[in-house]
Amino acid sequence: MMLLCDFHIHTKYSDGSVELRRTIDLFGQAGFDVIAITDHVVNSDNSIGKLAHRFRLSIRENNFDEYISSIRQEAERAIDKYGMLVIPGVEISKNYLSSYKSAHILLIDIKEFIPACWSYEMIFLEAKEQDALIVACHPHHTTDIARDTLFLWNNRDKYAKYIDAWEIANRDDVFNVISLKKYPYIANSDFHKTRHLYSWKTLLNCEKNIESVKNCIRHNKGVAITLFRN
Amino acid sequence: MEIFWFFSAITTLGLIVYWFQILAIHLHSPKQYPSNREGASLPSSFPPISILKPMRGLDDNLFDNLESFVLIDYPEFEIIFCLQDRNDPAYKIASKIKDRYPEEDISIVTERFNEGLNPKVNNLMPGYRIAKYEHILISDSNVSVGKYYLREIAAHMRDSSVGLVTNVIRGDGGHTIGSIFENLHLNSFIIGSVCFLDKFFKMPCVIGKSMLMRKADLEAIGGLNSVKDILAEDYIIGERMHKAGKKVVLSNHMIDNVNEYWGIRRFLNRHTRWGKLRWRIGGIKYFSELICNPVFMSSLPILLWKPSRITVSFALIVSIIKIIGDLYIGEKIGSRLNPLTYLLSPIKDLLIGFVWFIPILSNTVVWRGNRYVIGKDSTLSRCPESGVWSWRYRIFDAIRARLA
Repeated sequence: MMLLCDFHIHTKYSDGSVELRRTIDLFGQAGFDVIAITDHVVNSDNSIGKLAHRFRLSIRENNFDEYISSIRQEAERAIDKYGMLVIPGVEISKNYLSSYKSAHILLIDIKEFIPACWSYEMIFLEAKEQDALIVACHPHHTTDIARDTLFLWNNRDKYAKYIDAWEIANRDDVFNVISLKKYPYIANSDFHKTRHLYSWKTLLNCEKNIESVKNCIRHNKGVAITLFRN
Repeated sequence: MEIFWFFSAITTLGLIVYWFQILAIHLHSPKQYPSNREGASLPSSFPPISILKPMRGLDDNLFDNLESFVLIDYPEFEIIFCLQDRNDPAYKIASKIKDRYPEEDISIVTERFNEGLNPKVNNLMPGYRIAKYEHILISDSNVSVGKYYLREIAAHMRDSSVGLVTNVIRGDGGHTIGSIFENLHLNSFIIGSVCFLDKFFKMPCVIGKSMLMRKADLEAIGGLNSVKDILAEDYIIGERMHKAGKKVVLSNHMIDNVNEYWGIRRFLNRHTRWGKLRWRIGGIKYFSELICNPVFMSSLPILLWKPSRITVSFALIVSIIKIIGDLYIGEKIGSRLNPLTYLLSPIKDLLIGFVWFIPILSNTVVWRGNRYVIGKDSTLSRCPESGVWSWRYRIFDAIRARLA
């Protein structure tokens, strides 16, 4: 049976509305096999980012270790109770007023803190150094214009070589450009609220461990997407 | 002023009935709830039981609900998860439970059975056919039970005159306003009415979330096949058992109905559907439900006459009484709801008061994308595809789509 996965989940550690433990239970009770918790790490080099830090809507360097350790603790509970693999991650969020300058990047299986105000190259190289999976999130126009983050797509010639996979679907949006370019793909919920559980998901045909999951996505074989509905 | 006195009198009557409901719950409850009690005082030999679990979609807390049945302390039982489709998301949960407990007697039946109009009965039929034991327990997938649940209910079956054992349900969980309303309603009106009818009127008020029967008794009243087109199959089975001279017992073992993430719409839809059932089954008795909603009745003078000091004060006093009463019931049944949520109880009662009128205006339900007409005793029939009926729904759907 293919693994039902969601690699883009937010909790109350950033701007999600559900606590980490309840999030784990929600996905576990729904039968998921693999999830990644990916709270925002927002750039603090402009007023938008400063606000996010002011209102604690971002993981910061000083609470990163606590964040990762909480996820690891919950991961043990999840594998024991639900047989669900939980992978720690972050969503590097480079937010600007212009959606053409903004970009969001999932770093899955991250070990050390990476600031969002670093340059793209530095972020990608450091992520590679940590053997984290790099995913470009909602890379094209979405139904919610305010969420558009188009920088990576518009600069794909420069950055595609660093990116392991692109979100071909995010929550209710599908980005057919990813398919046309034949980029490696996954689909995620961008979970912030309980109702986001029912959204696009990834199915993987691989073993249920972190390395196999990362390799499966990187090689993009045995990957499918599904619209998870009740 | 006459309006005020008229509704004050009805409200007082409603409060008296409410007091009797509280009394019924008080009398029904053992000093300590069986879910926390050691099973030592229970008989040592128990009949083997087949647990049938009709499943469709993801209920809140589904994994834990199903697991609670696997963890039951009982000598011999099998669990049959009944699904119509392997692509149902609940199939994965059932498989995980089966894989997690390979030593337990768990089967998953996925067979499409479409002979009836009641989807729950359709789900049950293939599982019922392969059930190994004479005693069958039909149990919904949205309930969670304690360790000694089967021992408690099976003990009643030692009396051969008992045909069916059912349980009272307690709402649990609640992270959204819809689920809080649902749990408040289960823990006040539903539990109160069931205990009240059982204690004072000896009426068989069967709740489909837990029904223990013998196959022979069920077959004697027509079997599952005879209720395949009935919406309230649980109530009708109980009623037929009662008419066949078999006792219907309301066990005092509380089972939890976990509702975590309901929206308001789901809460309203469920109680509209349940209201339609009760209206079609109970007829004129359905009007007593409105009288038994003192918060709604006490608020009507404000709407129908005028908001004055006396009408508003009266509604407030009744609301406070209701909050205290619901809190007491919650305490009595061991509810885990946050005490502050009981402050929402009057708002829930007001909503339920307005929902009460819908069944009188409409006798159709939409179930799994199909629209059915509810007839006498909640018998379902398909909505006509042509004629006045179809036009009525086309217009209704068009308005709804436009509003959406």
